[in-house]
Amino acid sequence: MATAAPSLSFPRDIFAALSPSPFLLAHLSPDSPSTNPSRPNGRAPFEFRKPTINTGSLSHCSGSAVVRLGDTAVVCGVRGELLLASNIPNPPVLPTNLNSDREDDAENDASELSSLSLLVPNIELANGASPAHLPGSPPSTLAQSLTSRIRALLYSTQLLRARDLRIIYTPPPSEASGDDEPSEKEVKAYWALYIDIMFISLDGNALDVAWAAVVAALRDTLLPSAWWDEDAQNILCSPSVSDARSLRLRGLPMAVTFAVFKPTELLSEGEQDEENEEEKAWVLSDPDAFEEGLCKEVVTVVVDGSGGKRRMRRIEKRGGGVVGREVMKGLVRRADERWREWSQIDGLKA
Amino acid sequence: MAPQALLSPLHQADGSATYSANGYSVIGAVNGPVEVSRRDELPEEAAIEVNVRPAAGVGGPRERHLESLIQSTLRHIILTRAHPRTLIQVTLQVTSLPEEESSVGDGSGFSFSSLPVLPPLLTTATLALLSASIPLSTTLSATLVAITAAGKIKCAPTAAELVRASAKVSSLHVFAFSVGRALLLAESEGDFEFGAWESACEVAEDACCKSVEGMEVDGEVENGQEFLRGVVEGKVGREMRWRTAA
Repeated sequence: MATAAPSLSFPRDIFAALSPSPFLLAHLSPDSPSTNPSRPNGRAPFEFRKPTINTGSLSHCSGSAVVRLGDTAVVCGVRGELLLASNIPNPPVLPTNLNSDREDDAENDASELSSLSLLVPNIELANGASPAHLPGSPPSTLAQSLTSRIRALLYSTQLLRARDLRIIYTPPPSEASGDDEPSEKEVKAYWALYIDIMFISLDGNALDVAWAAVVAALRDTLLPSAWWDEDAQNILCSPSVSDARSLRLRGLPMAVTFAVFKPTELLSEGEQDEENEEEKAWVLSDPDAFEEGLCKEVVTVVVDGSGGKRRMRRIEKRGGGVVGREVMKGLVRRADERWREWSQIDGLKA
Repeated sequence: MAPQALLSPLHQADGSATYSANGYSVIGAVNGPVEVSRRDELPEEAAIEVNVRPAAGVGGPRERHLESLIQSTLRHIILTRAHPRTLIQVTLQVTSLPEEESSVGDGSGFSFSSLPVLPPLLTTATLALLSASIPLSTTLSATLVAITAAGKIKCAPTAAELVRASAKVSSLHVFAFSVGRALLLAESEGDFEFGAWESACEVAEDACCKSVEGMEVDGEVENGQEFLRGVVEGKVGREMRWRTAA
């Protein structure tokens, strides 16, 4: 029994696994006031991870993108399929002038796209994407909830133009009627975009990465030139790439997520102190999976700063009462800065 | 139409409530604390399960998203540590929708939005929790706010107003506040400035928890917290009749 007395301190990773919340708290509130608080992953509380984007990596899609943010990696593929107008039971009311280039009616576009459900996002978590995800099970609540948020974002940001998805047919002027009157244009079909998002690896902040992948993939999308063939009574597509055209997106909305770490929630009842409850909270930008597990309050801000003017596209906040109007103001400012970072990356650059 | 609520309409559930406002009706039941399956068990707190059933059909991704929103909000207001290793199950069934929303594909700008149904769901859940006597740290009240393109803020708009002005409503917001005026949930979508969001938030705060002083006028539009209080007061009053009559 000559061995030294067992050490009373744990290695770092055992501390993290045994008591994750005090571990994070110890990192965020350093002993000496001179050292800056840092998170277990080495970032400062307001530091984001650096994203990388690679577009056009899938060969069988109309457009695709791989986005990586730390250990979260997402592949997104956009596939266009034809929806024949004859198969639509209740066609939407179309704007009178189908041709005008200047017409940019975002509201009507949104209702046209949503009533036909032309954008169909779906999120899958790959086997082994994260330890919390069991393989072979039906889509988890997380996947379904993300799908629903991406879908809501796609429609509410009015990212796509209905014009880009319409396939218009102009009948040749018939000789019986007067030559002067231009013949009536009609929409013969629509492109429906299937947007499949696959998480290769998930280490927190799923929405930001998935949304960036969707935007990058849509920017990369080339739809073949398609036209109605009167003789075949069907839509024909051109095989040539030079005829294909890309989608013109409206703006560049980007999602930025923050998590609020409030250790008082995790301490036992007796230790809670009503008075300085408000002070003991940290807002962490771009949380990773470890932090997400400890933070109950999550804030997502979608901003669009393109065109030099900041617009808010979506604000989501849930699960706690730390972020009020004042804190939100600061977060929106940080989201602004983050938007600038996103907009400088290859694949999202204008 | 003023919002209406009824506590404990179901006799088998531990707690239940119906709530209807602006054409939305929701019935909610709470069972708990009950035994929890091993997989969902939390060693130090109660697990909360929320089930949302739509007015027609079975739930899809939209309902899963609503469930996760409601779950994380309720987790904050329920004193989960009072019942460790148990389950509190909240089931919410939408029983009727306003006519405007039940017609699918009517071309309204926000027909894809899941926000208008969220405040009634949250209110029903709170009432059902009160009815089940689950210990809560606070109650919450929620409201819907619409901002028109002209910048006008409309609190608790009806579905008809949203559809009629669909070309003009530029953003929709849902806010939920606790009694202590803490912002518990905020969901906004559309196109808006942050300043507009702030003023919408203020309007919602007033609608949810305006101070009671000087508001004792009959027929005055009551705010969310007062409404909750009134509903519970009414129920307690009825149940205590045998005592007070003597």
